[in-house]
Amino acid sequence: MANLKDIKRQIKSVKNTQKTTRAMKLVSTAKLRRTEELAKKSKVYAAKLTELIDDIAFAIKKYKAGGIESRYFSKIENPIVVDIVFVTADKGLCGGFNAQTIKQVWKLMDEYKSKKIKIRLRGIGKKGVEYFKFNEIELFDSITDLSAAPDYNRAAEFMDAVTQDFVEGDTDKVIVVHNGYVNMITQEVKIDNVLPIDPDMSTEKEESSAMEQEPADDEEMLNTLVHKYIRYSMYYALIDSLAAEHSARMQAMDAATNNAKDMVDKLSTKYNKARQESITTELIEIISGMEALK
Amino acid sequence: MSSMKLEIVTPNGSIFNSEIKEATFPGKEGEFGVLPEHASLLSLLGTGVISIVKTDGSEEGVAIDGGYAKVEENKTLCVVEGAVSISGDTESEVAKAIEEAKELLEGASDSATAIAKVESLGRKSI
Repeated sequence: MANLKDIKRQIKSVKNTQKTTRAMKLVSTAKLRRTEELAKKSKVYAAKLTELIDDIAFAIKKYKAGGIESRYFSKIENPIVVDIVFVTADKGLCGGFNAQTIKQVWKLMDEYKSKKIKIRLRGIGKKGVEYFKFNEIELFDSITDLSAAPDYNRAAEFMDAVTQDFVEGDTDKVIVVHNGYVNMITQEVKIDNVLPIDPDMSTEKEESSAMEQEPADDEEMLNTLVHKYIRYSMYYALIDSLAAEHSARMQAMDAATNNAKDMVDKLSTKYNKARQESITTELIEIISGMEALK
Repeated sequence: MSSMKLEIVTPNGSIFNSEIKEATFPGKEGEFGVLPEHASLLSLLGTGVISIVKTDGSEEGVAIDGGYAKVEENKTLCVVEGAVSISGDTESEVAKAIEEAKELLEGASDSATAIAKVESLGRKSI
């Protein structure tokens, strides 16, 4: 009989877990929808900003001898110091979401180490920061409590330090690694070479009317624009990562809920069998008792 | 009557997008007004208030903390990092917007003028 009680308790506990995982899945679904909306809205900003950068870059190429001089656009053949910025979640329970990003960071580190290039790590998100701390790898800079609620100003502040190091020549390349959102069921680790900006990326186009500019210094204007653009790319990486985190969690929790359901089914069968067994045993006892009295 | 399109875009989406009659921008090198058919211009914006006159003659203000304005013949695009539209359906909504706008303008060099502008615009829109 003790067995029956045990199974019953197990079923109850699994059912409770199932309730939690189902709730987490629903929460993630709702949050994913909201994050997707945010990503869509903020893409408008990126499009307009790129448009402005293109305009100015075009003007410089056309009217200024020597082209763009800014360090942002310089081609650096042999980088000496590379900054890797990675974005992970603050929370776990989302399948391999954080592990994938961390794995990619390792890969990049190995790659640059074999080329004898110095690497500095900057981390965003508790999971990644704690992981590297546990493995006794020094992080140059880290920030937590930002992944779950991307904030433009904090992202900008974090990125400004990165940009400043680059402008001053302390670093020669900046890479942002984050696990990005593809669709509801797919996430993909994305590696963005944020700095220096590839000049070929800004597409050439014909400008019909010449623009008046204020202030008249093209370089100055381009630099501030690029600065904004870098801030924005960080912000967008955060939003993209958050969307991916929610979709990964949704999947993980969906799988967990299904597993719990299977478990309950299995345990129920076991419970019914055990109950039937005990009833049969009891019946046999009663019948054999009756037989003995005859 | 001629009108032009004004769009104000922030990292959190577009906050203003409609036809207007005229607008005044807080340029880095001085305030400037834009009417339809303005010459093409690209300008750096400082912290301040964009005052907009809509096609129906009503005024609206948008507090910004610096960015860019790209003016074309009948289309003006503003790309800014932070912006608060001083408008709302109820008095409390407007008051809230004014508070947010003030916070945004705090760091500006001539924040007093900008804040005064925000308040007067806020009063008008109630």
